[in-house]
Parts: sequence; C-alpha cells; structure tokens
Amino acid sequence: MHRSLTAFIAAALCGAHFHAAAADEEAVTVSALRNPVDKSYRRMLSGAELFAQRRGELAPAAALRFKLLPRRPGTRLDDIELELVGDSFATPLPVAHDGTFELPADAAALKERASVRPNRRAGSMTWRAEVRTPGLPADVRRLGDLRLECEVGMRAGLISNYRPVLFRWLDERLADSPEYCRRAVPRYLFFADRALWSVTLVAGTRREVLSVDLLYGGASRDPDWKADLPYCDCEVLMDRAFFLPLGDRSWPDDALVHFEYMDDTP
Amino acid sequence: MKRLIFLLAALLSACALTPPAAQGPLGAGEIASAHAARAALALGLSTQTDVRKALGEAIVVDFESGYEVWVYRERPVKKAERPPLELVLLFDPSGMLANARVR
Repeated sequence: MHRSLTAFIAAALCGAHFHAAAADEEAVTVSALRNPVDKSYRRMLSGAELFAQRRGELAPAAALRFKLLPRRPGTRLDDIELELVGDSFATPLPVAHDGTFELPADAAALKERASVRPNRRAGSMTWRAEVRTPGLPADVRRLGDLRLECEVGMRAGLISNYRPVLFRWLDERLADSPEYCRRAVPRYLFFADRALWSVTLVAGTRREVLSVDLLYGGASRDPDWKADLPYCDCEVLMDRAFFLPLGDRSWPDDALVHFEYMDDTP
Repeated sequence: MKRLIFLLAALLSACALTPPAAQGPLGAGEIASAHAARAALALGLSTQTDVRKALGEAIVVDFESGYEVWVYRERPVKKAERPPLELVLLFDPSGMLANARVR
C-alpha cells in the first residue's frame, strides 16, 4: 500500500464522524438504485485503515491489494474493467492479470461516497483482500498475512453471501466484523490459486495437515452443500476453498501454510 | 442382604471386564482402519469401482472439473485420545485414484 494512501487514510478516517458516515453508507448500499456488485469505497478504505493499524503486529512486511474473483460459472475476469464512481466522476482503476488492484487515495471519492464498480453483473463475481509478504514460494502463504486478510476482508465488507433463511442472515450480520476472524476456526473462506488437494500448517518442526473438514467449504460434513452453493460466493471456487484455524494462537503469525494441488504429481 | 451385595458386585465386575458390545455394521463413509484401507489401494491403478467394492460407499465431494474427493472416517471411539483417522482419496476426471492420505 502506498504511503500516500496510508497518510490519506489517517487524515480522512479519524474521529467519530467517519464511523457515523460509514453507518450511513451501509444503509445506502442496500438501496435498489445501486448495483449490488458495487462495493463501498469508504468501507474498503476502512479495511485499508485496519490493515495499516494491524500490519505491524500480524504482517510487518506485507502489502495490501484487493482481488476480484469469479462467482458464477462462465464469468471471465481477464478483460474486466473497474471504476471508482462518484456522483460527479468515474475514474478507471487498473486491474492486474491476477485480478488484483490497488485502492487509491481519493478525497472526492470519500466525500461523494463513491463505489468501486466492475463491469460485471451482480452476483457474477466476488471480492477478497489480499495480504502478501513478498519472497515466499507460489504454493506457500504466511499465516499472519491470512489472519490480517480475514480482518481486512470483514471490515471492508467484501464477502458476498446471500442466504435464504433469516436466522442465517442474522448470524452473518453478527459475524461481519474483524473480531470474527479471532474465533478458533472462523468460517471465512480463503481461496487458493488452483484446485486444492491438501493444506499443511508448518511452524518450525511442527507440521499439521488440515482435516478435510476445513477444505471445500466444509462440504465433506454437509450433505446439503450443493443446495447451499448458490448462496455462497465460493460457488465456482469450491475446489479452491479452505478455512484456517486463525484463532488458534499456538500457531504463530510466522507459521507457513503449504498447498498441494489436485493436478500435482504425488 | 449379603447375597444381594455379592450379586451386585459380581455384576459390576462383569461390566468392567467385558469389552463393549460390538457396534453395528459400518455406515456410509465409515471404515475400521484407515491405514489398512490405504494399504489396499494403489495410486494410478485403483478405480472408483475398486474402491467402492473394497471400502463401501464414501462421502463424495465432486467438482465441475471432474475431480472427486472421497472421504472415509474411522468410527469414533468414546474417550479416544485422538480424533478418528480420516482417509481422503482423490480421483482424477477419468475415475482413477490420483492421490490419497491418512490423517
């Protein structure tokens, strides 16, 4: 994340005024006038603020980007266009080949309660924060990065699950905060780059293969997983989805998460 | 009275020494020994039909890509020191066993 964005966040988001405005913004995002695939710039900026606050503890060398992911079958993201849209402007945001983008500092966007808007239909894609420490192999992530990724993702309101049952919806609203990520095994879905065969946590000489219960959105424990799929933003990413024991502090932030993929040679 | 106490003591002793009654037949996705089941399978050779015949029905998680993950678990034992082992099998889109692990 650029220093200018960090400074901008500090200047723009201090004080109760921001929190009151953020609450207003949440009300606006459910309006029928907005395309539900939009994300609130202000809320995403709040996620970036949390990254700046928590980075020193969880992921000192990491950088933050946001990421676009497909949700519906047939959704292509290679030619996706993204804009920061306010009442009086629309600014293109560059998207990298891996679907990631950087959130710019923009006073006008904050003032006009802008949206971050892709040229895709509602429900066709989803979003995540991406916190990466540089220098790791492609099939390895750092646990502290993923802890922070969860917290930023929850604060930024990036998860797009729609469930039909009121109480599940209510439960989801209650879970919609960074504190949720400090539960022993929060149901926060991470997505690997390819279809997963196994996930192993490694810290020094300690090594633990995760139970299959933590892969594929817990499908091996849920006979109705296919019926729930349309309500999960993991719909076309099930074979890449995994949970982590984020709240288990016996695993340090420097623990590494190793992936093996379905198409690897055993 | 002494006779009654003796009878109760005998019954309690019998309870302590007798192994628990055998549980019913294994259900879908249950196996007696994950390691023994794994040893009976061969990567690149065992098919889904072979595995179903050897181990019975699995918990199946199938994906659009054609890959399938089959899960078998040892039956839970009360007061066990560790959770039951799981045997996880990966079948490629042709239905051949591509990978396996016991955890």
